[in-house]
Amino acid sequence: MSLVELLPNIHSLPRADKLRLIQFLAQELAEAEASPLLETGREYAVWSPDRAFTAAETLLETLRSE
Amino acid sequence: MQGQQFPFVEREAERGVASLAPMLPLTLVGARAVAVAGLLDTGAAINVLPYTTGVELGFVWERQTTSVKISGNLSIVDARAVLVSAVVGTFAPVRLAFAWTKVDTVPLILGQINFFLEFDVCFFRSRQHFEIRQAQRTQ
Repeated sequence: MSLVELLPNIHSLPRADKLRLIQFLAQELAEAEASPLLETGREYAVWSPDRAFTAAETLLETLRSE
Repeated sequence: MQGQQFPFVEREAERGVASLAPMLPLTLVGARAVAVAGLLDTGAAINVLPYTTGVELGFVWERQTTSVKISGNLSIVDARAVLVSAVVGTFAPVRLAFAWTKVDTVPLILGQINFFLEFDVCFFRSRQHFEIRQAQRTQ
């Protein structure tokens, strides 16, 4: 179905449905153009020991005592 | 001290640019020398060494008596403190302390203690490279 064929139907939609259509199209365009950095449903392990301060103290003491 | 540049590298070939990361090639020297690539992780409090790399360096788990308590998302992993010499590019060797983990599911991480005490690093992600200089001690 072409856009020309769709337009009369879109024109007759109630206001709330037109807003939903805008939202749907915006989301679809965003998903199509987004780079696949994060995929829905895929698990990403985060291994960074970002708050391992006790371990950091232990390593510093190990270096000092060498 | 002159800086040395290294490229960001793809960690997953099929992900291409999306998987680019600052992976630093370096040689670790324990009882044996092992060429590795370490993830430069400014958010990591410590250096982390995967189990197999530690074994390749000549460490024996039972002989490493200093236990390291890692909190956060690595808290389930048992770890021991080990010291190695590290050669980065043409810089003079430095001593690095690692939390040697009992697992291989972690990458080799270069973190604040003590990689970032030994080296200053500038990241140029948009240009896909980073630059390293040996840290200038202020004391």
